[in-house]
Amino acid sequence: MNVRELLTEMKDTSEVIVDLAYASLMYNSDSMAEKVHDLEDDMDNLKFAIRYKVLMSCRTKEDARQLSGLLQVASAADRISDAAADIVDLLDVPLEKRPFVSAMLYESDEKIRATKIKSDSGMVGYTIGELAVEACTGCKIIALKGRQGWIYDPEDDVKIRAGDDIIVRGTEEGYNHLTEYASGKIPWDFPEESDEEPEEAEDEAENLEDDIGDDDE
Amino acid sequence: MNRLEVMLLELKDTSEFMVDLAYSSLLYNNKEIAEEVIFLSDTLDDLSTKIQDTAIELGQSKSDEVAKIAVVIRLQTSIMYIAEAAKSIADVVLRGLGEHPVLAMSIKESETTIALGKVSDDSVLVGKTFGDVSLSTISGMFVIAIKRDRTYIFGPGRGTVIQAGDVMIAKGPEEGVAYFKDLCDGTEKEL
Repeated sequence: MNVRELLTEMKDTSEVIVDLAYASLMYNSDSMAEKVHDLEDDMDNLKFAIRYKVLMSCRTKEDARQLSGLLQVASAADRISDAAADIVDLLDVPLEKRPFVSAMLYESDEKIRATKIKSDSGMVGYTIGELAVEACTGCKIIALKGRQGWIYDPEDDVKIRAGDDIIVRGTEEGYNHLTEYASGKIPWDFPEESDEEPEEAEDEAENLEDDIGDDDE
Repeated sequence: MNRLEVMLLELKDTSEFMVDLAYSSLLYNNKEIAEEVIFLSDTLDDLSTKIQDTAIELGQSKSDEVAKIAVVIRLQTSIMYIAEAAKSIADVVLRGLGEHPVLAMSIKESETTIALGKVSDDSVLVGKTFGDVSLSTISGMFVIAIKRDRTYIFGPGRGTVIQAGDVMIAKGPEEGVAYFKDLCDGTEKEL
């Protein structure tokens, strides 16, 4: 992986690891906590890899200045994952001593919720990517329990099957929609293919970035 | 929820919001957004102190609550650790070190990306509240801040009215970006 890919991976991990950490407290799940620790180990490796690559690529003073900022971001992402690992260590506290935690987390702005895929759900047989679950519902699937057991932070190519349990992160409203899809109450609404030219989209993005950068001076 | 839990939850929600804002300050190399992260971090410092004071008071009056207090303090510490990390990301921007193109690219290419949408006069969103349109449910894009004229509205609520000329900063999956932008610029009329 190059520096950019490493940093992307670290950013993604720093986000999903926190969701998983809170979810493991809500559902009192040791296996989810284990995944958090695995991700934290991955993060340590990514951090060393990125430091090494960055130091190798430094040639000038300006490089060093710019890249020190990049390393600070990488180190912040790593610290977020350390915090997530500390959060799941609370599972060692006996459940009866932390009854308020899951009730409290239930009320978060960003909701973590679980639901089951019924056999007549329109989602059955499609992958997470084909369904574009997050784009269509605002809910991201952070864990899925299928025949093979739990998959955490499932990739886009994971197929949804009848009987799967999923844990999602999103808004309450999005979750309500998702449960209707998951139970088969309403058929899945496939997004239409976008016919927009990618190049045009790029230009647009640049203009907008000017918009927001304007009054930095 | 009691007062302690309400405060702890606010700490948690704010820390997550700070991480989102910190990454977007990096994507747009934008100092104003970075400043907001620093501001929020200061408010969380105060909130942390309040949580600790309240927890200690509770422990003094009810000794059987001590185990709970230990959990509260441990959670508070971890959450503040996340907030500090967000602050150190914003710090990169404030020091003027956010220009490296790899920084912006690594965020653009991540699973959860950040996008800008400028609301045009003929957008269907104009005059509607976030509660009316439930943008995140239909597009997957969650609006974390709005730039209106020269000021920012951070964390718009369900009652916030969308106006023409608003620039909305949203986070979500890559697949949601095109529809979100089309809704904003008026190309897409269907909600």
